[in-house]
Amino acid sequence: MDISFSEQDLQFQEEIRAGLNGSEFPSNVREKQEKGTALSKQDMIDFHKFIHSKGWMGYNWPVEYGGTGWSPVQIYLFLNELALAQCPTILPFGLSMVGPVIYTFGNQDQKDRFLPDILEFNTWWCQGYSEPGSGSDLASLKTKAVLDGDHYIVNGSKTWTTLAQNADWIFCLVRTETTQKKQEGISFLLIDMNTPGIEVKPIITIDGDHEVNSVFFTDVKVPADQLIGEEGKGWTYAKFLLAHERFGIAGVPVVKVQIEKLKNITSEYNDADLSKKIAELEIDLEALEFTELRTLAAIAEGGHPGAESSILKIRGTEIQQRLTELFVEAAGQYILPYEGPDGFESNRTPAGPDYASPSVAQYLNYRKTSIYGGSNEIQKNIIAKAILGV
Amino acid sequence: MNLNYSDEQNMLREQVLKFCETNYDFIDREKILDSHSGYSEENWKQFAELGWLAVPFKEDNGGFNFGPVELTVLFEEFGKALVVEPYLSSVVMSGTVLEGSNHPQKTSIIEKIISGEHQVSVAYAEPNIGYNFFHCLSAVSKNGDGYILNGSKSLVLNGGNADQFIVLANHENSPILALIDAGIKGLSVQSFKTLDGQTCGELTFENIALDSESILASGDDAKALFNKMIDLSILCISAEAVGAMTSSYMKTVQYTKEREQFAQPISNFQVLQHRMVDMFIETELTKSLLIKATLQLDSDDPEAGNTISALKVQVGKAGRLVGQHAVQLHGGMGVSNEMSIGHYLKRFTAIDSMFGNTQHHINKYQAK
Repeated sequence: MDISFSEQDLQFQEEIRAGLNGSEFPSNVREKQEKGTALSKQDMIDFHKFIHSKGWMGYNWPVEYGGTGWSPVQIYLFLNELALAQCPTILPFGLSMVGPVIYTFGNQDQKDRFLPDILEFNTWWCQGYSEPGSGSDLASLKTKAVLDGDHYIVNGSKTWTTLAQNADWIFCLVRTETTQKKQEGISFLLIDMNTPGIEVKPIITIDGDHEVNSVFFTDVKVPADQLIGEEGKGWTYAKFLLAHERFGIAGVPVVKVQIEKLKNITSEYNDADLSKKIAELEIDLEALEFTELRTLAAIAEGGHPGAESSILKIRGTEIQQRLTELFVEAAGQYILPYEGPDGFESNRTPAGPDYASPSVAQYLNYRKTSIYGGSNEIQKNIIAKAILGV
Repeated sequence: MNLNYSDEQNMLREQVLKFCETNYDFIDREKILDSHSGYSEENWKQFAELGWLAVPFKEDNGGFNFGPVELTVLFEEFGKALVVEPYLSSVVMSGTVLEGSNHPQKTSIIEKIISGEHQVSVAYAEPNIGYNFFHCLSAVSKNGDGYILNGSKSLVLNGGNADQFIVLANHENSPILALIDAGIKGLSVQSFKTLDGQTCGELTFENIALDSESILASGDDAKALFNKMIDLSILCISAEAVGAMTSSYMKTVQYTKEREQFAQPISNFQVLQHRMVDMFIETELTKSLLIKATLQLDSDDPEAGNTISALKVQVGKAGRLVGQHAVQLHGGMGVSNEMSIGHYLKRFTAIDSMFGNTQHHINKYQAK
């Protein structure tokens, strides 16, 4: 056993750090991240294009498909550096979700057609999984795709679709057959968001933000060559996607940076109770971080991530939520003036510290984390079944 | 980075696991607890024959020169079976201090520890100083070429069985570590059972005459050596706790699969499933911090002290959760002394109290 990083890994870390601090980093993104103001669609595109320009976009992809082929330890170091440099999160929908499904289960034409645009961030993807009647029981989904010649005709609706308002494409789980076992009639379809018959309606979340949407499909004609793999195998691909998305799911590097911020803010508050809570959160974060490293080490050895990997989502989101609670606690009564996640117009600002309003926005927004990606209760069901065997 | 145990370490684990399976079921353990010494002399002899008592000692002293990783492997397996033999006090605690000292007979004492014929306990706690072990009232004063020791020590692990004691005392507001024989004039020992079935002793010192050779370390050296011993001890009982947590959740899963109520195994109930998942999660998270602390201690990382505190906090909280859930899910059987499950809760409770409890280490971590 050995806990240290190799010379090469440390050198790699230096290169990433230098790249992120270099002059090519989009200044519009840096300024807004430092101030904590929301990024526009164009900011996000600029950031991703910058990451691509450094050759880092496919950080978790194999070389064969244009990825970096980095080791798990390198990926870990890369994500840490992104957080330290206060970068936004690399959007997972194309890179970490649909991309791996396409290069694993797609045909050559599909790989050629979609993968380069994901790496170059020419296409913004969104995820069409949940439906109004299908949340945790995802396999009960009803959006229907009926083959009609060389097209599928899609009817139905998806919900909680993150950033669908910006998306060029959506990957959808659709029902192509009504089968005895509901999982068996599901297929995986790629759909151009500009196709006639698609309507996106915003859902405003409790923080006042427009992040998620309803997406309605009315007689949407989708070319049959946009089906991934085989008809009826969509559930298998969906599960693969969820398992693949383990890197960074715990959000450890971002929380680490945020805790330092919180400690700086509260260093003069002389609030022993709050300081103690922060220390306890740090301890929990240390335990989680090393659990993630254990998972990475297992993968690096060519093994499957052990049982410990299933813990990352649950504990990671719990920690993220507790962090937002501590920011709110620190801000005290000054969280009251609130006009949405974008803050206040510059000529009128309420009393209290600058971080108060963003803190409460984050607190409200982050309630989502224990719900999305398979709610934490569903995660526990999975562990109970797969690991404890009950 | 490499987080795999070596073949040798895995073999050691196998060996301890097999030993415990053969010699340490719950009934065996009950008999040991009821015995006069509170541990099995037969087992101790076997520990010696298997070479386990030599694990952490340097080769010069007849040991295997293994490090914290091997110790945690041993203790994790001990924890699964709730082993009560005095390995922590005699080998880890006393061994660390003796090996770090310049005592002229240290090699022969260590050899006798390794052969299983000799036991030494460290006397570090006192009635009124809490976890501030250096604020002790036990004191030595100069007396010609030697010293006189007065005062008292509490909670000395395995105190009733020890052949020698290493006493932390004050000398002119500076710590010293002194080695005394159990039979020395002026020493009285009262032995008690502990809540988890082990034993501890209360010592009183009345004008005990010490020669200068019996001072193992003093001043900053004593402080550093003592702290090193505490860190390693925390690591070992944390490993023990991880083993005990693993057993607790596995036994609980097994029990809920067998126990039927409302015409079905109670493991079918989601409320119970999620509680068992929580037990599993806490166990794994504790294991993570254990590995981190072990490797940091092994490589003399300056961060090791903080991680040890983080680990002790996690062990305290997770032990309570796992222990309490295990009892709750066993229902009435969980509070029955005839079932092993409640004995894990007792051990978690004891472990949390030792070498600084959860609150103490949160404060220590915070002050880093």
